[in-house]
Amino acid sequence: MSVPNCMRCLTRPSAVATAALRPFTVPVSVSLTAAGRVAAFSTTPAQQATPQKGSKTPAGRMDARIKRMANGHVRVGKRLHVGGKKGGTRPKAPLPGERKAYRKRIQLSNSNALPVKDLAELDGEHMLSEKNVAKVLSLPTAVIDQLRTVEAFKPTQTWGLFRDPSLLIRPETVDLMNRMQDSVANKQTLRLVIDGDKLTGKSILLLQALTQAFLKDWIVINIPEAQELTAACTEYAPIPGTEPVQYMQQVYILKLIQAIRKANEKVLSRLTTAYAHPELPQHIPVSSPILALANAAKEPDSAWTVFSALWKELSSNIRGRPPILFALDGLHHIMKISKYRNAAFDLIHSHDLALIKLFTDYLSGQASLPNGGAIIAATSRNNCPVSASLELALEQRLATQNGEEPPAKKPYFKGYDSRVEGAMKSAQVLRIKGVSKLETRSLMEYWAASGLLRTTVDEVAVSEKWMLGGNGVLGEMERASLLTMRL
Amino acid sequence: MVQILGVNFHELKLVKKALETFYALGPRTSERILAKHYIHPRAKMGSLAPKTVTALTAELSTMKIENDARKEVQDNIKRLRDMGTYRGKRHGQNLPVRGQRTRTQIWTARKLNKIERRG
Repeated sequence: MSVPNCMRCLTRPSAVATAALRPFTVPVSVSLTAAGRVAAFSTTPAQQATPQKGSKTPAGRMDARIKRMANGHVRVGKRLHVGGKKGGTRPKAPLPGERKAYRKRIQLSNSNALPVKDLAELDGEHMLSEKNVAKVLSLPTAVIDQLRTVEAFKPTQTWGLFRDPSLLIRPETVDLMNRMQDSVANKQTLRLVIDGDKLTGKSILLLQALTQAFLKDWIVINIPEAQELTAACTEYAPIPGTEPVQYMQQVYILKLIQAIRKANEKVLSRLTTAYAHPELPQHIPVSSPILALANAAKEPDSAWTVFSALWKELSSNIRGRPPILFALDGLHHIMKISKYRNAAFDLIHSHDLALIKLFTDYLSGQASLPNGGAIIAATSRNNCPVSASLELALEQRLATQNGEEPPAKKPYFKGYDSRVEGAMKSAQVLRIKGVSKLETRSLMEYWAASGLLRTTVDEVAVSEKWMLGGNGVLGEMERASLLTMRL
Repeated sequence: MVQILGVNFHELKLVKKALETFYALGPRTSERILAKHYIHPRAKMGSLAPKTVTALTAELSTMKIENDARKEVQDNIKRLRDMGTYRGKRHGQNLPVRGQRTRTQIWTARKLNKIERRG
């Protein structure tokens, strides 16, 4: 037996079928169409509604071709039109760069997360004291802005889950901050590489160092992604008069100067220049504010000159100059041959790029900061090009630090790079691993207080997450407990 | 719009791809031109300095590209025909030159093998 309605229309019976089923319904206003159907109410928009038969519009002509069944249903020709010229307009395509901006956005607050009560705000002393290990502390607002300016937050980190950005103090944090403190007291340069397995918190430790530097009124220069400098995706040009030829990256350096200026405005506004800089595009007399010097960088072409002058001022041996933190994330990318080519079509070594050369000169100890400071690099293990010399150097430094025999080079391997060995010959290495159960507990309590972890934080739960996270690897624990939630 | 050798390019076009639009200028040559002028491979036309654009135009105007390169190909074919060679004859007949079968599949030869070859 055939059904009065076609299968497609079962969810919304036709007016005829409705009338047959409910004979007592009397429509308030009745309009009869050519087919004699009653259309009392319809959710179809006027644009998509079937036009009357014989109308002059294209849709009307098409309607005339559609075969109608005796009961008024359309069996053929009724198809969903996706795309094409018919139907409504297409949604607007995103503007150039819009998708990337969305992908790279940094969200530091989540209004749906619970505010954590009794969360102390970090100050300059918190990260120096052993007794604060395994505590979670929130970042002060002023420092958040500064950190954002130097691009210390990364899109892959889980800041967007919590109400406010907060940090876990680890023993490694206290160790690093004390080393930084000592470097200022002894007017020495701390040259350090943070290394560790994937997701162990190397970039976060670097962020803690940046935080401490901002809190202690240091001058902070940060290169958030070293690969941006060596992957041949930013402008470059040879610096005239350099032998061997060095290359400046004008556009990147202009951006860097602007970030330095904005993030360190408070410190820089107190300083004045000590040298005349005749090479600059605009005249900056001696003892004018350093901010004016930083402001001289307006065009990419003059950016490197201004940066050199700025660095000369900041790193000069003058009393009252604040310590400097020069940080870089993704060390492997600058310990290899870059993707840039010179005019002779030869690949350029990363250490011939002027900004990287400056960093490696200080990392190797060839140059030092007279007022103290730190040169800190963090490795990245997820995005990590092969650099045999760097790996070997890291192992050698660690062995030496632990009083062991450093491993030797492989005798027949040709992939070593003497310039990388030179850059790494005396840097300290801080290798970080998973956190302890005490720190895990503290972190999980913070998650629970934020409303993100809906289990009782007891010894069993802590042990479970600690073990799921590969013996306390922070990122893995986050994956196991926060990122698997069905939000 | 940025003009190189009399051709307008959109500002968002990659310089490398823009160079490769010229006849007889391929990926290898464009790579070398970029390196010679210190332009990074991902540079867009809009980011070029005016003096670089002028230098590129000057560079391209000394190269054998576009009509000069087409002329060279045509001359080669013409030389073959004037010598009365088999290859020259086959070019004149729009047929395959190197002994391929002609029963089927000679669209490419029909399209390309001409005395006045276009491209």
